[in-house]
Amino acid sequence: MLNALLPHKEISLKSIFSFEKNTFNIVMAVVTVALIVAFLVGFGNYALHGHHAYGVSKEHPWGLLISMYIFFVVSSTGLCIISSLGHVFHIKSFEFIGKRAIFGAIITIVSGFCVIGLEIGHPIRMVIYNTISPGFTSAIWGMGALYSVYLFLIIMEFIFLSRDEHKWSKFFGLGGLLIGIAAHSNLGAVFGFLVGRPLANGVFYPVYFILSAMITGCYLLFLMYGYRYKMQFTEEMEKFLMHLGRLLGLLIAILVFFEFWRFLTAIYGRVPERSDTALHVLSSKSFWFGEVLLGMAIPFFIILYSKAKAIKATIYASIGGMVGIFFMRYNLVHDTLVYPMQTMKIKEYQLAPTWVEYAPTLTEWAIALGSMGICLALYYIGENFFFLDPNKEDEYFKHYVDEE
Amino acid sequence: MATYAMVLDYKNCINCKACEVACKEENGVLLGANYHRIWVGVNEIQGSYPDLSIASNAFYPSQCQHCDNAPCQEVCPTNATHYDENRVVQVDASKCILCSYCMVACPYDARYVDERTMTVDKCTFCSDTRLARGLKTTACQATCPTKVRIFGDISDPKSEISEILKTREYFTLKASFGTEPKLFYLK
Repeated sequence: MLNALLPHKEISLKSIFSFEKNTFNIVMAVVTVALIVAFLVGFGNYALHGHHAYGVSKEHPWGLLISMYIFFVVSSTGLCIISSLGHVFHIKSFEFIGKRAIFGAIITIVSGFCVIGLEIGHPIRMVIYNTISPGFTSAIWGMGALYSVYLFLIIMEFIFLSRDEHKWSKFFGLGGLLIGIAAHSNLGAVFGFLVGRPLANGVFYPVYFILSAMITGCYLLFLMYGYRYKMQFTEEMEKFLMHLGRLLGLLIAILVFFEFWRFLTAIYGRVPERSDTALHVLSSKSFWFGEVLLGMAIPFFIILYSKAKAIKATIYASIGGMVGIFFMRYNLVHDTLVYPMQTMKIKEYQLAPTWVEYAPTLTEWAIALGSMGICLALYYIGENFFFLDPNKEDEYFKHYVDEE
Repeated sequence: MATYAMVLDYKNCINCKACEVACKEENGVLLGANYHRIWVGVNEIQGSYPDLSIASNAFYPSQCQHCDNAPCQEVCPTNATHYDENRVVQVDASKCILCSYCMVACPYDARYVDERTMTVDKCTFCSDTRLARGLKTTACQATCPTKVRIFGDISDPKSEISEILKTREYFTLKASFGTEPKLFYLK
């Protein structure tokens, strides 16, 4: 009966543990288990000590866990948007990625919810009062409500994609795309609405979040398909990955353009607080090495100089790209909070401020990195239990299926 | 119904921190939570010896500004932060989920986490303590030796605070953000 609802392979413990015992798979299994253990240790420490286990403070109330939540939901929205290019907008070479990408979108947002559940002080109270006492002017409320609907829609989309009912998958796909974009730009607005934080305040973040989500989606698809095909690609697959590389190159170019003008307008005129903070960000190593070098420059130049044909190099660069995306999310939170708000030891706008400092604790690192273990485990389970590639007998995808 | 506000004749402040002690005592702020609910900002003396600017050495007593257009109230996802009947910005601890968005949104860093309830707390103009007992002053005001603070109802044109605001020049902190603070600093 379950098979009629959602087609799946044999679900058993045996099928989980029966994987090909090569070095790469064993390393991945050990890393995944170690990360899950780290998550559980972090969770245990949080259960014992609550927010005291975290390095957040009055001046820096958000930290690594918020960054990690954003990292995951950016990944989810990105995968959803890129997959919709195929099964919603019918761009041919993207059509077959639907199930795998949407499954990726589901597990990344679920991993994100696992992290945010440990960051919010009272998650059960949140569910109750978000429902019976909604703060409609709050971007966090909007984001929470929209992401809940989004998760429902993409689960339905995955079910109908798995059942090869493409009328309904397209319906839920379009819904998931629209609600996903609304939710994700809302997450950008969580920062954009901060009137008291001039570097964050404004239109930039809601737009930037969608752009960086698409870039994240491209990186993840490179990694997922590199892993799926063990770097041995068919002609069709190469064609798709080349198109994906070109798209990624274009998106990174737009991101560089956005960032350039963002920082130039922030610095120009030396408007107090905004320009101080922007210059502080530009003087940090994590911006140049993390965001620019790993997140933008290396993948961009590989794509540019190989005309998107160096697929394997792009896949390796995508690992660095995801590290760069992590720095983008971490810096986004830290840069927003780095300027001190309290009028203490500063007369407003006259003396250079002391920057607010924050360092994540081991518990935060354990939860943040451990959540990647959850994501990897869910992906592995999905790969084993569900059909993430197009069905051979499905007419809709006929022209993409490997004849073998 | 009133519109409570506070005037600060900040030039009279001698940084004795009696206001912080009184606030902690009255509102049960935990030890160690310094500069959390109420604080005195210190402007460092500018210049180098012997050319020091004595005028620059000023103290800025401060606390929640009870903004009339409060960013913290606007961003609260559960309406835990709200205005009470006297336009005082309050937190309903039973609704607070500790998402900390209000702490991020407050331009004055006037919010903190109460370690006992693990919810966000802030200055309430002593609404649930002294005002609830029928008193007309806040703890920080009553204890101040140099009478820096004057607390009252600005919707009553005959109140002391209204008279002062009519006759003295004043400024508010970070007014450019449009938060419409109800803490007025006398020039």
